[in-house]
Amino acid sequence: MALLEVRHLTKRWPTGRLALDDVGFEVREGEILGLLGHNGAGKSTIMGITLGMVRPDIGEVRIGGRSVQQNRGAALQQIGAIYEAAVFYDYLSGWQNLRVLCSLSGWWDEAEVKRVVQMVNLGRAIEQKTATYSHGMRQRLALAQALLPQPKILLLDEPTDGLDPEGIREFRELILHLRKHHGMTIMLNSHLLGEVEQMCDRCVILKDGKKVFEGPVPSQEKSRRIFQLDTNDIGLAREVLDRCGATMDKHGIVEVPLNMEPHELVTALVNGKVQVNTWQAHRRTLEDLYMGLSSKS
Amino acid sequence: MTLFFQQWYGELLKLFARRRTYIGFGAFIALEILILLLIKKFGMGPIQKAIVGSGQSFEYYFSALTVASTIMGFAIFLLGALFLTLVAGDIVAKEGEDGHMRLLLARPVSRFRLLLLKYLTCSAYAFFLVQFFAWTSFLLGLILRGWGGGYFAIVPEVSVVAFYDWGPGLQRYALSSLYLGLSMTAVSSIAFFLSCFRIKPAAATIGALTYILVDFIMRNSGFMDNYQHLLVTKHMAVWGRILAENIDWPLIWRGYAVIFAVNVTLFTLGYAVFESRDLKS
Repeated sequence: MALLEVRHLTKRWPTGRLALDDVGFEVREGEILGLLGHNGAGKSTIMGITLGMVRPDIGEVRIGGRSVQQNRGAALQQIGAIYEAAVFYDYLSGWQNLRVLCSLSGWWDEAEVKRVVQMVNLGRAIEQKTATYSHGMRQRLALAQALLPQPKILLLDEPTDGLDPEGIREFRELILHLRKHHGMTIMLNSHLLGEVEQMCDRCVILKDGKKVFEGPVPSQEKSRRIFQLDTNDIGLAREVLDRCGATMDKHGIVEVPLNMEPHELVTALVNGKVQVNTWQAHRRTLEDLYMGLSSKS
Repeated sequence: MTLFFQQWYGELLKLFARRRTYIGFGAFIALEILILLLIKKFGMGPIQKAIVGSGQSFEYYFSALTVASTIMGFAIFLLGALFLTLVAGDIVAKEGEDGHMRLLLARPVSRFRLLLLKYLTCSAYAFFLVQFFAWTSFLLGLILRGWGGGYFAIVPEVSVVAFYDWGPGLQRYALSSLYLGLSMTAVSSIAFFLSCFRIKPAAATIGALTYILVDFIMRNSGFMDNYQHLLVTKHMAVWGRILAENIDWPLIWRGYAVIFAVNVTLFTLGYAVFESRDLKS
């Protein structure tokens, strides 16, 4: 079931630049969806529209069936978000910041706040003014505020931006924990391909405000069978593969058709007098996919 | 309603947790002390002349209330306006600039409610700051002249001159400070309105101060004698009528109705501007 639906979003900035061009996708319950794209591709604009901070020219976002554009208050009851940089009131403590923010949701439960503070590993630092926080601590506080009060969906806008490797790993584990143990649905906006690959089930790739891909993250794909063929007889190999219904690109990446087993294809190549030097499983990465889409004009 | 007050508490917490909020209080105390020292050294000058010229005893009317009123008259308009516009000019623009607004509006709270909370916060600050000015001036007056005596009230803007004994004088002083607090909300409303635009907080402050100063100069220039009703500072001065021996309540209510209308209009326009903005860095 789709918990968040992005429908035909189009947005043109007053400068005339087209930020989004008929973008639509959905985030299903319990999944982690990655929103990928170059700087200015429209990722944050989608986040802004989802939170009702940016108005689309056309289209709408629905959360749990409620339109953000028509009933923002009710729709946002189900969402927790880190939108753009994690900025807090530096002259207040972490705890006071959470209190101010939670009051805007009409909610305060001290026991639950303490539990979330423990979960994000802020501990006693929550009593300190946020001016004293490191970037990692700010991100953890940002996650804490997003998790209060118990949202169904988390929107994370570049959540690991500026974190050190340990911080990124800790953050990633926390996100995966939230999905596994709390059934959280998450939409993650990032330009870090590795991050998306490790965390997300599916991804949407944007380019210049247009959706150019929506589907499973390549590393999560189970049905595709892709191999790397090393041969000196490229032309001959291509002929044999064509006859078998397989395809091979210029780098020797072969996609085995669904009606064949990989070993049958190798047998066909050998029987066709192709000298097979090596034949090994090739894992297509998100980077391959992303760069492939980026290079297309 | 409880929720509204919880949210308002959050806004007040933010306001009063900032050092900048207290600059106005500190600056005013410094100015009060300076004026007090000048009064002590050079006397009351024109005030003394006015009291003696009216055939009254200067010794009797040179009291804590008269001193407090004099200090207020010197400082409240310009210094008060400066600090009110500083806070109100900051309240939306600064949060927008720093990215706090995006943090707040990621919550299921409407822009209207958020702005209303902020507007009430800066209006409360205006009111509270004036009360602080009024009663610290009175305290310093007490230190100089002690308890008791008369109260010589003079507000040239509305041509009020009155003499009171201590008890009634204290009542009038307290009442006029309450109404002065209401008048000053118009200043913070102008700054708040400008703060709703996508501009630097300092620009909102400077814009509001400029408006108030131009309005004030126009009112006193003589060129606008037939159009005084169009000037905000004219209506703001209505608080002074509380000090008249016979209070003209209909005139006062009319003045405050205009101030209320100005405040509501500025809030509504500010909201319309803010509502139409896309909040994105």
